[in-house]
Amino acid sequence: MYFSVLLYPCILGMLSLVHAIPVHPDSLKNLVKLQADTIILRIKDHNEKLKLSPKLLIGDPELYPEVPANKPIQGLGSIVETLSTFHKVLQRLPKGHVSQIRNDLFTLLGYLKDRMTSMRCTLKEPANERSLDAFLENNATHHITFGFLALDRLKQFMQKLIVNLDHLKSC
Amino acid sequence: MTRFIMLALLVNFITISQGLAALSPSDGRGGVYEDLKWKALLCCELPFAQTLDGGLSEHPPVGQCQLLNATKPEFSKNCLDILCWLEGERTNLICNAKSYRAAAAASLLTIRPQLVVQMNVLSDETNHAAQCAGEEIAMCSISLHGNDANVSLTISISLNETTAVSPKMQVSTHHLRRPDPPVNLHYNVTIEGEVIFRWSDTQPDGYAINYEIRYSSNSSLQQWEMVKVKGRSWVTLNDLSSGIRYMVQVRCQSHFNYWSEWSQPFYFTLDVSYIPAEVFTTPGSEITVSAVFHNRSWRASKAVWMLNGQEKIPESQYRVINEQVSAVTVTVDEPGFDTLMCCHQWGERFKCIIAYAKIYTEGMFNADITCQSKNSEVDTMSCEWNKSAWAQVRLLYRQYTSMCETISEIEGSEEAEESMSLVKECPSGAGDHRECTLRNLSLFSCYKIWLEVEGGRGKVRSFPVYVLPIDCVKPSSPTVLEATTLPNKTLSVSWRRPHLPVYDMQYELRFVALRGMANTQWKVIGPLLEPQAEIQLEESCVQFEVDVRCRRLNGSGYWSDWSTSYTSVVYNRKAPEMGPDFWRIIQEDPVRSVTNVTLIIKQPVLAGDPYSCVEGLVFEHQASGRAVWSNETTLVQFHSFQWRKEAHTVTVISRNTLGISTRNRNITLLHQPKRRVVHSFSVVANASCVYLSWSLLSNHPVPQSFVIEWLDLNKDPEQDMSLTNRLQWVRVQSTSRDLSLCRRFYGSEEFTLYPVFVDGEGEPVRYTATRGDPAAYILLLIIAFLSVVLFVTLLISQNQMRKLMWKDVPNPNNCSWAKGMDFRQIDTMENLFPHSEGLTACPLLLVSESICEVEIIEKPHPVTLEHVKENEVLIYNSGDKTTTNSTLLADSSDPLSLEASTAAPTPETSGQSSVTYSTVLLSGQPSLHRKQQESLSSSSDEGNFSGNNSDISGSFPGGLWDLENHVCSDSANPRHSSSYNSVEEFSETSDQDYEASESTGVAKDLYYLEVNEEEKEEDEEEIEETQGEWEKNEMVMRVDARPLLEEKDSTAVDTNNISHSIPLYLPQFRTECINPP
Repeated sequence: MYFSVLLYPCILGMLSLVHAIPVHPDSLKNLVKLQADTIILRIKDHNEKLKLSPKLLIGDPELYPEVPANKPIQGLGSIVETLSTFHKVLQRLPKGHVSQIRNDLFTLLGYLKDRMTSMRCTLKEPANERSLDAFLENNATHHITFGFLALDRLKQFMQKLIVNLDHLKSC
Repeated sequence: MTRFIMLALLVNFITISQGLAALSPSDGRGGVYEDLKWKALLCCELPFAQTLDGGLSEHPPVGQCQLLNATKPEFSKNCLDILCWLEGERTNLICNAKSYRAAAAASLLTIRPQLVVQMNVLSDETNHAAQCAGEEIAMCSISLHGNDANVSLTISISLNETTAVSPKMQVSTHHLRRPDPPVNLHYNVTIEGEVIFRWSDTQPDGYAINYEIRYSSNSSLQQWEMVKVKGRSWVTLNDLSSGIRYMVQVRCQSHFNYWSEWSQPFYFTLDVSYIPAEVFTTPGSEITVSAVFHNRSWRASKAVWMLNGQEKIPESQYRVINEQVSAVTVTVDEPGFDTLMCCHQWGERFKCIIAYAKIYTEGMFNADITCQSKNSEVDTMSCEWNKSAWAQVRLLYRQYTSMCETISEIEGSEEAEESMSLVKECPSGAGDHRECTLRNLSLFSCYKIWLEVEGGRGKVRSFPVYVLPIDCVKPSSPTVLEATTLPNKTLSVSWRRPHLPVYDMQYELRFVALRGMANTQWKVIGPLLEPQAEIQLEESCVQFEVDVRCRRLNGSGYWSDWSTSYTSVVYNRKAPEMGPDFWRIIQEDPVRSVTNVTLIIKQPVLAGDPYSCVEGLVFEHQASGRAVWSNETTLVQFHSFQWRKEAHTVTVISRNTLGISTRNRNITLLHQPKRRVVHSFSVVANASCVYLSWSLLSNHPVPQSFVIEWLDLNKDPEQDMSLTNRLQWVRVQSTSRDLSLCRRFYGSEEFTLYPVFVDGEGEPVRYTATRGDPAAYILLLIIAFLSVVLFVTLLISQNQMRKLMWKDVPNPNNCSWAKGMDFRQIDTMENLFPHSEGLTACPLLLVSESICEVEIIEKPHPVTLEHVKENEVLIYNSGDKTTTNSTLLADSSDPLSLEASTAAPTPETSGQSSVTYSTVLLSGQPSLHRKQQESLSSSSDEGNFSGNNSDISGSFPGGLWDLENHVCSDSANPRHSSSYNSVEEFSETSDQDYEASESTGVAKDLYYLEVNEEEKEEDEEEIEETQGEWEKNEMVMRVDARPLLEEKDSTAVDTNNISHSIPLYLPQFRTECINPP
């Protein structure tokens, strides 16, 4: 009886300790890489299903700057900011569209935000949000090409993220 | 006082209630709206009450109130200044009534009786009321809850018990605030490329009279372009650039000249605009869609139209409206949703933007909806469909209580409008999803299921399917599966069907033997109508993995999933009798300095009795000085353990549920030197088998058994073939001394023979069986065959050449130099060639122009032949005599005899030819004749052309070479002399000629075969026939050139009077002799 009384607080204490231990950077890198690779493959599958003509070039890189095309990675803050933008873009797609990729991206964003919190990084407010809203407002009705463009740029960012995993160590 | 107030309130309420009925809400008379406030001036006449001195009257006096438009009060009256305004965002309306007397009193500091002001406010819309009172001033607040309202206001004033009530005043809160800014900002593009910007008013019609529009590019928000518009809610915006994000805002001005705030910004970018952006059409109708390129660098002439982003529309369907506008005309034949994209040619690719035109073609399309239902605690039905990736659809369904056939007939005959209240939407059927699961449905209700394209106004949808879920049930898998392998080679299986659905079931059963896991070929049996089955097997004692599935017996439905696999139980009546045979592999691990032993169990493990099957093994270990321990396993093929280089005995025991085997085999591993018992071990391989044999040393104990193991050396050990898989072995009885293994061998296996004793192993013996590639043998055979063919060809060709060469050999009797000569006499020869030195010293030269013919006359010499025969026997059969005779012959410088004597022991050598020339054909001994003829017929020819075959076989060209290079060489050289003595080279007589030319010098007469012109044309057979006739007449052609080539008195043979009897062949050559100086 006394043993149980002592045991429970110990277990609870250990659990809370475990919860407080931040994810090891290498573990995070592995997780991010796995998740990013998964997203890349899902995007490839999705865009291949559309069977768009390979001659089509939807959205020059200089067009639609609201969706980050080639944004530099300068640490966790910039990664989270860019991923938040992509998440917002994907959320504007109609119900049921790319829902799995959206979930994957949300999971990845959650990992990185947790990491930022544990590193006491300041979460940046997304820039040009109003402009992004306007872009979404105007274009989300053309959800196929809109999604294709957004996913293509997200894929590029994921590829860049995979080769810049060391930036996860800095804010 | 209190009574007074009560009375006043009562009057007010009565007044208000009357006023509500009498006045319209919009009636706002009496006041003015100014600066977002409502203002009014209320003046009341209050008759002075005379009751102060004379006592109270029964009825108090009542005053009169009047709303004045004048801004200045009448001082003769009691006036109130009333002011109403909004507080916050339409949260409250505040009204204030203030007496002018209060202001005057404050200034004049006179003491006057107090004026009591009481105000009542009532919101018509919400029926909220507020009441407030005060002396000289009163302020009321009423909540509006953010809405506009018409508010009624009444005021009563009292002074010295005299009361006056104001008329009802009406205040509209709508006029107390600024107008809302316009909403729904958007733009259209005309076919000419003009951008028309539009918005909507939030005010009542006609309320707004003026608008202002400002727009700016996103990058320079400080520089606004302003446009004023009066009386309309649209404006044309010019000079907009493409690719730039613009922000536009609009505000409006009300009748009271209040300007609204600026509207929410509207952002837009001009790139490509479609006119119309959405098209509704019917199948087969032509539609035309235009695209406006706002980008000036994009030209309509370079426009490329794409259908659904996949298919380029032919350019013949394009039309250039102007430089920036392209149009396309298409016909969509099938109902559904399509898109049109207008892109710009850019090299081989097409630059496109996000926007596209949407085409909704009314009608029903085929979506291939298929459903599968599941009958369990909660009945569900999962439906799948196909759709275009571009279409945004949703799955709709409706439940009916009638039969599906009835409903489909009714709906097929008339286009009944769907009652949308009964239609449900699958919550997870939109977007990318192509399947949806309906839950809590009734298996016996008919469901109508269809897809609807969003945005298609309900007119673009798929053909519906009518589904009775009971007809498409995929049942749960059968359960409680049991299987037993019986001794009578039967697999008995039983199972339990799912409870639901309740209809009759049929079953399918599949099973696979667990022995040899590589073979996973399932065997399927079915359909079965009962939940049990008995399957005849090829062998007993085998465990099987068994699965069962079920489906509806009669009617439509789906097969269930296969049940959870069940491994059959092997039925046993007793424990196994004997343990398995096994062998071991010993592997050193240099890294960990341990020795690993792997036991290989002979498969299959037999127990010896079908009623005592082996289900597993027990490995019993016993190391020296340590306890016995054991491992129990299933029927494994390998078992490994570490060996500490001590005496270690392992016993492998078979087991089943009833016990373990009693007759078991064991193995003892010893580190000490092994005894040697094998004397020899050899391995011989042929194409398909390997034969092994061995012998043991004597005086050694006989082993218990032998084990022969070998490795498949042709398999790459680097691959997944471990040593345990590559090693093969076989156990042999101790009495056996040989073994034949017939299986596939690669010819490079190393066989190791282990004698196995009770207390350990003897010294192994290894032998590598090597066998060439079978192809090499075949190649060798082919080469040998070709050699034979070549050889035969050479023989034939040589024969032909000889015929050609000797066809024209002349008869010496016809030669001028032989006129009158009798060639049968040896003297003639001597007379003919009186200078024998020259002849012997010089080789003969062929003179082609000399054509001679010699007639040979038969003259039998039986005595001489006998002598020759004796001589021959001497040469062949008597070694001593041969030596003697050889010496004799050597002394006589007869090269043929010398060659015969040396060649006799090795008949394969070229000496055989020499024998030919020293053999005499005896007509009286046909057998010998034939024998020699057979054995020498080929070698004689060979001797003519083969340079290394015989000394006497020097070829004719060789003779010429010799002549040129060794002209008049030493006459004593027997090789040279014999070379040109060859009968074959200069005569076309048969082999018997050679035999007749026996060099013993017995014959004295010279013969020559006369060949007539007709005979020259005859073939070899005819010649042989002639020879046959000659043999009958004892005619022998004897040819020996030796007398022609030797010095007359130089041989010993001459001395014994034999040389005179040698029949000579007269050469038909005229030679040029160059005597040595």
